[in-house]
Amino acid sequence: MTDSAILYDSSRCSACKGCQSACKCWNGLPSPLGKEAGGCTGSYQSPLELNGDTRLLISFNEKRNEKGGIEWAFARRSCMHCVNPACAAVCPSGTLHVDEASGMVAVSDEKCIGCQYCASACPFGVPHHYGPEPTVNKCTGCVDRIEQGRVPACVKTCQPGALNFGDRAEMLAIAHERVALLKSKGFDKAVVYGEDELDGLHVVSVAKYGLDAAGLPENPQVNDIVDWLGIMKPLTGIGAGAILAGLGLSFLTGVGYKRHTLHYDEVAHDVVDMDTGEVLQHIDVDIDVERKA
Amino acid sequence: MQTTRRGFIKATGLAFGTSLAYGLATQSEAFALDASPDWKLVNTEECTNICCYCAGGCGSLCSVRDGELISVEGDPDHPISQGGLCAKGASMFQLRNVVDEKTRKVIPNPGRLTRPMVRRPGASDWEEISWDEAVTSIARKVKDTRDATFVEVDQGVVANRCDGMASLGGSQQNCEEDYAIVKTMRTLGIVALDNQARV
Amino acid sequence: MTNHWCDLQNADVFLTCGSNNVENHPISSKWVQKALDKGATWIVVDPRYTRSAACADIYCPIRAGTDIAFYGGMFNYIVKNGLMQKEYVANYTNASYLIDPDFSFDVNTGLFSGWDEGKKAYATTTWGYQTAEVVGPDTSATGAFSWTTADGVPEFTPPSNKVAKKDPTLEDPQCVFQVFKRHYERYDLDTVCSICGMDRETLELVYKTYCATGSPEKSGTIMYALGQTQHHYGTQNTRALTLVQLLLGNVGVAGGGVNALRGEPNVQGATDLAMLVYDFPGYMKWPTVQKYPSLRTWMETETASDGYYTNKPKFFISALKEWFGENATSENDFGYDWLPKIGSNTDLSIIPTFEHMDTGLIKGYWLWGQNPAHSAPNAKFARQAMSKLDWMVCVDITETETASFWKAPDLDPAAIGTEVYLLPAALIYEKFGTVVNSGRWLQWRNKAVEPFGQCKTDLEICDLLWKEIVGLYKAEGGANPDPILNMKWDYHIDGKIDARSVAMALNGYTTADKKLLGTFGDLKADGSTSCALWIYAGFYANNDAPLDPAQQRIGGRGTEDKGGLGLYQDWAYAWPLNRRIVYNRASADTEGRPWNANRMLVAWDGEKWDTNDVPDFVASTKAGDGTVTPVPPNNKAYFMNWEQNARLMVPSLDMPLPEHYEPFESPTENILNGRQNSPCIKFAEHKSVQRGSKEDYPIAVTTYTLVEHWQSGSQTRNTPVLVEAMPAQFVEISEELAEERGIKNGDRVRVFNNRGSAVLNAFVTCRLRPLAVNGKTVHQIGIPHHWGWAGSLSTGDLVNDLAPNVGDPNCFVPEYKAFLVDIEKV
Repeated sequence: MTDSAILYDSSRCSACKGCQSACKCWNGLPSPLGKEAGGCTGSYQSPLELNGDTRLLISFNEKRNEKGGIEWAFARRSCMHCVNPACAAVCPSGTLHVDEASGMVAVSDEKCIGCQYCASACPFGVPHHYGPEPTVNKCTGCVDRIEQGRVPACVKTCQPGALNFGDRAEMLAIAHERVALLKSKGFDKAVVYGEDELDGLHVVSVAKYGLDAAGLPENPQVNDIVDWLGIMKPLTGIGAGAILAGLGLSFLTGVGYKRHTLHYDEVAHDVVDMDTGEVLQHIDVDIDVERKA
Repeated sequence: MQTTRRGFIKATGLAFGTSLAYGLATQSEAFALDASPDWKLVNTEECTNICCYCAGGCGSLCSVRDGELISVEGDPDHPISQGGLCAKGASMFQLRNVVDEKTRKVIPNPGRLTRPMVRRPGASDWEEISWDEAVTSIARKVKDTRDATFVEVDQGVVANRCDGMASLGGSQQNCEEDYAIVKTMRTLGIVALDNQARV
Repeated sequence: MTNHWCDLQNADVFLTCGSNNVENHPISSKWVQKALDKGATWIVVDPRYTRSAACADIYCPIRAGTDIAFYGGMFNYIVKNGLMQKEYVANYTNASYLIDPDFSFDVNTGLFSGWDEGKKAYATTTWGYQTAEVVGPDTSATGAFSWTTADGVPEFTPPSNKVAKKDPTLEDPQCVFQVFKRHYERYDLDTVCSICGMDRETLELVYKTYCATGSPEKSGTIMYALGQTQHHYGTQNTRALTLVQLLLGNVGVAGGGVNALRGEPNVQGATDLAMLVYDFPGYMKWPTVQKYPSLRTWMETETASDGYYTNKPKFFISALKEWFGENATSENDFGYDWLPKIGSNTDLSIIPTFEHMDTGLIKGYWLWGQNPAHSAPNAKFARQAMSKLDWMVCVDITETETASFWKAPDLDPAAIGTEVYLLPAALIYEKFGTVVNSGRWLQWRNKAVEPFGQCKTDLEICDLLWKEIVGLYKAEGGANPDPILNMKWDYHIDGKIDARSVAMALNGYTTADKKLLGTFGDLKADGSTSCALWIYAGFYANNDAPLDPAQQRIGGRGTEDKGGLGLYQDWAYAWPLNRRIVYNRASADTEGRPWNANRMLVAWDGEKWDTNDVPDFVASTKAGDGTVTPVPPNNKAYFMNWEQNARLMVPSLDMPLPEHYEPFESPTENILNGRQNSPCIKFAEHKSVQRGSKEDYPIAVTTYTLVEHWQSGSQTRNTPVLVEAMPAQFVEISEELAEERGIKNGDRVRVFNNRGSAVLNAFVTCRLRPLAVNGKTVHQIGIPHHWGWAGSLSTGDLVNDLAPNVGDPNCFVPEYKAFLVDIEKV
């Protein structure tokens, strides 16, 4: 297996959103066609979150620092392509899997059964689903392009060279060199992300203004319940719903990377979508208790 | 991975002398490592173009199958853009085709004009007309206005000027089109001729 | 651009001033980053902390409209601190030329000598040089004007050369350098800070960093765009930055230059082709009744007394020959009389056009992909004026605000009698032809797919209409049909209008046998050559394959980089003559030694010139027998000027030296001289302007564009992925102003002045901040102007309704970048 990685260097990024645009155009992903469908986000960032139609976005985070200067941090939000991907570990249908040739977490969406385990398992809240019979939508690493000798669409289109694709060790070396340069210029919080986090990521980032500004969780953890999911992979139906709900509670506070905001109401034993208020599932208490045991 | 547009050069060579077929003969088979049927660009032909937004002159590659546009991305051989395109350049495909939210199928961009239209005096909406009708009636209006507002001699000097018309625009077109516009507009006598250079 | 995109990699220091290059010219980010990797430093001076500022090393806020104060301060800093590239300035500019002793500037009135209050114009006689001697035109066999005596060349008297008096020591008090030095003594650091709202420490850091490029081996480049030009003294802003570049020896060198980034895909081509009131294709003058009543007067007025433009009539007559074909003869002055002459009404650019619609003079309006109902300054007035038209023809790809001006929220369609024709145009990849980028590269677009629906190319639309109009005049006669019936329209291949045929006309050919010409050096003034656009000569000149663009220079796809400077000599074609960096003679000293050997463009080896680029000077002469003799180095580095030197001081229309004035609507008084606005401001007297005062409208505003959208949005607001990436219109305001006015992020606010009003979403941001200007706090806000009512995805109010319809006297550019408004929460 080749250990490839995408390198995102926020200190080169001009936040032109070429990657955001190229991702949609290459992958045939829709954007709203309704009039005034978007609305004001109160920021240069749009959409504010990844969603069923959006696999990649550039985030913006601005503040005035103690010296009176401005820190406008750009960051790239998309699948991190974990070396040991929890999403693939829990995926019961083989939809999400590691592409042997590149190491990227590829998607065979025609296999998706809509269980949404992946959304719950992901430490970054990346997988989203679309359609009445939910199908997963997340960055595929453009393995179709990589197979054809091309780089991912986002990397290809990046004008300032903020995105790069190649051997992971090489990407890490470039990232470390860049961070050293940034530190020498006074960017004290500059840091490499993706080397050791979660046993390593196939997306390596240079965060010019530090992790907080980039919306990157400092010490991402795969919830140990993922182990349960691994065991319970063959199960479907209500058991899955119960586990989903339990995980929902664990990830509501993620900075930057925001997972599905599902909430488990412990009194009513309902799984509620925080955005719509819709009750997605009622949990059978006995099974829930059984799981906790 | 080095991809070159060598096929492109070959195909244009063939185009020489076959002027009727010139337009689309500039395409050549897309570069592909294998002919995997799942590959988005399988059986496509490519041709090079230049971005329609700022004056960077970035190169684009248009992939076409059965006469329809399949994809637009940066031209990797282009020395300025080296395969890159910004958000606008990367979205040029959508000026023609967009993806329907419901079906996820590619559909024609509903914002594009598809046929000539006229808005009659006092009307609150468009009327569709044929090209023939548009051309005939525009030519008549142009002649009437020119004939009514022409200044043949001004201060004793041959002026051959038409004060009653103005022309605006040109930064969007190709140079050959610009020359055609300048030449026809000026020959009609138009002196109020301007383009986006100021705005 | 004197240089080009890939050349940005060669700069040591960047100054982004008057542009937001990574947002509006994203390709710049690639090449700037390559330079930064080599150790370059990047400064951004902008009213807003932009995405460019976020990427740069140094950010310095500036009050919009005060660029001349900023640059004037830099001149003063350079001179005072001895940072000038003296050898360059002394030899390659007019610094040593002596100016008329009556030249003066009065600080109290803010006027240069020669002001005529009655005419509201300058007589520029005192702005010129003292004459040392007058040399008559050399018409001998080896002289610059030998060609004038050839058969078929229209008779005219070539000009004499008034050689200027000079002082090479630059010490004579009347030499340009001393006049210049005196003029900018007032522009000290504190004064500049006070005017521009800058902090002294930051300003000094900017000056120090940028002026270090005065060192001969260093290059600095200034990236500018509409932030610099869209002021009523926009031309002088641009001259000011050019003067910085000359003082520091940065023009003509790799990594330097004067680089207008240019905002439209083919604005360079449209400008080359003179889609401008007063221009003739190829940067020549369009005939006027008063100045150029005949071909002879045109030639006598426009032919330069020295330098390359001694040849100008060859270009003009070859263009006339192309225009009228066999109907153009030496007997009828090559059809000169058939060209329309501008009369006493010279106000014909975009702004005054609407006044003429308002008064009923202009009745018919052609629009070729432009959207003035949205983009004109005081656009509301423009729309009202349009409603008085008899007819309008709009050629576009979407329904723009202009095509649908009668649907404007503030107009009643029932009351509008205009007949509007909307013709659907083909997109760029639905046709083929030439496009010119800001680096002057001519590139060929190939056609990928057939036009959408019933769309046609602009070329085909032009052809259909032209043939119909010609048919009507042939059949019916009418107001002098001669220009129409004598015009040549032979651009068809296999019966269909074809861009390749027009490309050949642009390139030029011998009239008799239609052999394409490789250089404009082959053009003649006797009708034996036809060439629509002399500066393009050579781009499409392969006589072996005239129908195949891929085998022309423009179709070149060679990616070799000879010299390693990113010149890419075999990729496409850069006008003129495939020259990638113009004024490249100035990259070497008077002995021909490059200032920086690692950035060699041209170098004299003692016997001949070594070159990486096509020389922009007389590098050799060719005798009648074909013998080529190299010309040793001299100081004629700017041979397109009659002086053959660059001009620090120039007798232009409005100012011989850039002087600071305040924007038409300014939040403060001019403290540098006694005059608030430039005396030559255009259109300020029009009633439609409705000037607002700082008492009524205390907030300074600047307008701009975003990377996600483009111009009036007629393309990008119909592109779903871009609308999704920037879905709604907004105004950016500082946290301080927001607090003062009780506005929160996301609130709906109304921005208004005498001309218009726009309701927008508020973005409250730390990226804008109040400035201390002349002792008072000035709030600046920023508004992108992409939105309007047209389009099916994202619409909004028209911000250009707010901008004043006043302009610059040289090029009539409107003042979009600095005016006054007030703001309130809705």
